[in-house]
Amino acid sequence: MAKEFIAGPNFSGRSEALLTRLRGGAQGEQRAFFIGPYAEAALSGLSSSVADEIALYRARPPRARDVFSRLDPVAAGARKPQSLSGGEQVLLALHCFSLSMHDTLGIDTALEQLDAVNRAAAIDYLSSGAFDALLIDNHAAPSGWRQTVRPPSPSPAFVIDWAALNATVVPRAAPVIDIRRLNFTYRHGPTIFRDAAAQLVPGRAYRLFGANGAGKTTLLKILVGALAPAASEIALDGKPYAPWRGGGAPIAIATQNPDQQWCGATLEEDLERRRGALPAGVAIPDIPKLAAFARALGVSGLDQHLYELPLAARKRVSWLWPLAGVHPWLVLDEPTVGQDAATRENLAALLARLCAAGHGIVFVTHDENFARLLPHAVLRVENGGISSL
Amino acid sequence: MTPNGAVLFAAVAILGAMVSGGRGLAAGYAVAALFALTQIAPRTGACLRRAAIVMAPLAAFMLIIWVGVVGKSPQEIASNAEGTRSAALFYVATVAARLFLIVFVLQAVLLRFDHDTPFAFVRALRVPAGAKRMMILTLSLIETLRNAVDRAYTALVAAGIVTRGLSLKNLRTGWILVQTVWLTAITTVTARMRDKWPVEDTLALLDPALDGGERRLSPPDWLWLGLAVAALALGQYLVWAHG
Repeated sequence: MAKEFIAGPNFSGRSEALLTRLRGGAQGEQRAFFIGPYAEAALSGLSSSVADEIALYRARPPRARDVFSRLDPVAAGARKPQSLSGGEQVLLALHCFSLSMHDTLGIDTALEQLDAVNRAAAIDYLSSGAFDALLIDNHAAPSGWRQTVRPPSPSPAFVIDWAALNATVVPRAAPVIDIRRLNFTYRHGPTIFRDAAAQLVPGRAYRLFGANGAGKTTLLKILVGALAPAASEIALDGKPYAPWRGGGAPIAIATQNPDQQWCGATLEEDLERRRGALPAGVAIPDIPKLAAFARALGVSGLDQHLYELPLAARKRVSWLWPLAGVHPWLVLDEPTVGQDAATRENLAALLARLCAAGHGIVFVTHDENFARLLPHAVLRVENGGISSL
Repeated sequence: MTPNGAVLFAAVAILGAMVSGGRGLAAGYAVAALFALTQIAPRTGACLRRAAIVMAPLAAFMLIIWVGVVGKSPQEIASNAEGTRSAALFYVATVAARLFLIVFVLQAVLLRFDHDTPFAFVRALRVPAGAKRMMILTLSLIETLRNAVDRAYTALVAAGIVTRGLSLKNLRTGWILVQTVWLTAITTVTARMRDKWPVEDTLALLDPALDGGERRLSPPDWLWLGLAVAALALGQYLVWAHG
């Protein structure tokens, strides 16, 4: 069975090469299965429950091959596939493939969202399974796989000017976030937090660490007010903080899937709307400054339609608002998914500078290489609680 | 009761609601209430509440237009009669009662089978494969829109552009939510159709996944179907006898 690892920097055409290979296979006798980095490319979009997603792909009659099962299909059966965390969606897609008629599996950076245990299990399954596999990943190639290295594009696009970004960092005084009591249960879903507590001090970076589905992203969404916890007590510099009741948050977020955070069709529209909604007391950045920031991130103009950008570029644009330093606290959910090694290194250095300037950072990552580059404290999210390591 | 029986029951009950008026609707209401109380007993209240939530804005709109603005019923307009607001009110009440019954019956049937997944329900139906595909694609589109609402809402709340719950700010910025939802839905579907579906031929997986269907109606199916037909006939008789 052919196992191929497609390596190369961002914008070297890896994704297009993978899809072309898979489409070619689909026209022949081989049937290909594709798992992309986000829900639109990991899930079929045809089912409204995990049980139906599995039923859709299940081969008839069943195939005699190993079943990859790291997500409990019984416990998750009634949940909507879209309500699963990014990592759980990837586990569901792998489970569906293992039950399906498909002979070839192509994965585009999706494994980067898996925790260490699940990632090791997935790599082991891919390496030993009786099927062809094509993998794009920004980490080391699994041993024994044939490696195809794509050269950098001869006309580089979306080049980041890290020196210009670093020059924008200015000192800030961020408040202390004191989570005294946090309770949260998803409607028709699991309980994530039960009287959880943590204190976040500015000038430091905190890594939320935990298994897929533990509640790391949920915590970030609560901090920016996108989810409303019940019977909870959070304070900013000692004052009650409840952004879910309105009033805005002094915290900017870069979501795991960049397409979950756009507020307009173009970058200009997105930024204008964000500027108009800043909470009282936050200095409104001017458009020329933001345009310069966008250029430094490799995006040529503010009239750029966001969805026309390649995914890796969209991910970078999703950093713009947090990195622009408008808000004292930044929360970043899997910021390095789909980003090559050089970008990860430079991003870690920039975040470290922001911390040194007084900003507070909370980030979620399963990327150990990135985590090693950014000095941080670890907060473990598990069993409804948050604990320091 | 089987899904096929439930769909037939709903179809006849809805037909009855559409062709009956005034007193004729009472028979339909009686059968619908009996169905709800025996099949989804503890959730009849939820069913009523949902039907009211769907119908209340429409009824209010019709009241404003027909009673407040027009001031006479369509029949009076057609016969060029003087017209009265009470006739307009009776017309609005009849239409609202008819639509409420339709929504209530649909809700009751859906709740009756809510322990089944959509695939299990559609698979059990005895309809052509094309119809099953259309049902699943319609549900998929609804799910995509719901997910787009969730995504756009999260993005705009996190950016402080809209607030959770009701607020004056949302009156000013609610249109941004609508625009962002459509943008999200369109790009989600486009991404799916560009990458995932062509590679896997995902739509071709639907037919085998939905293959099957129960061939016979069960005795409870026949019972409920009979009651729905009887209500339809009684409704027609009452319309004929009393106008």
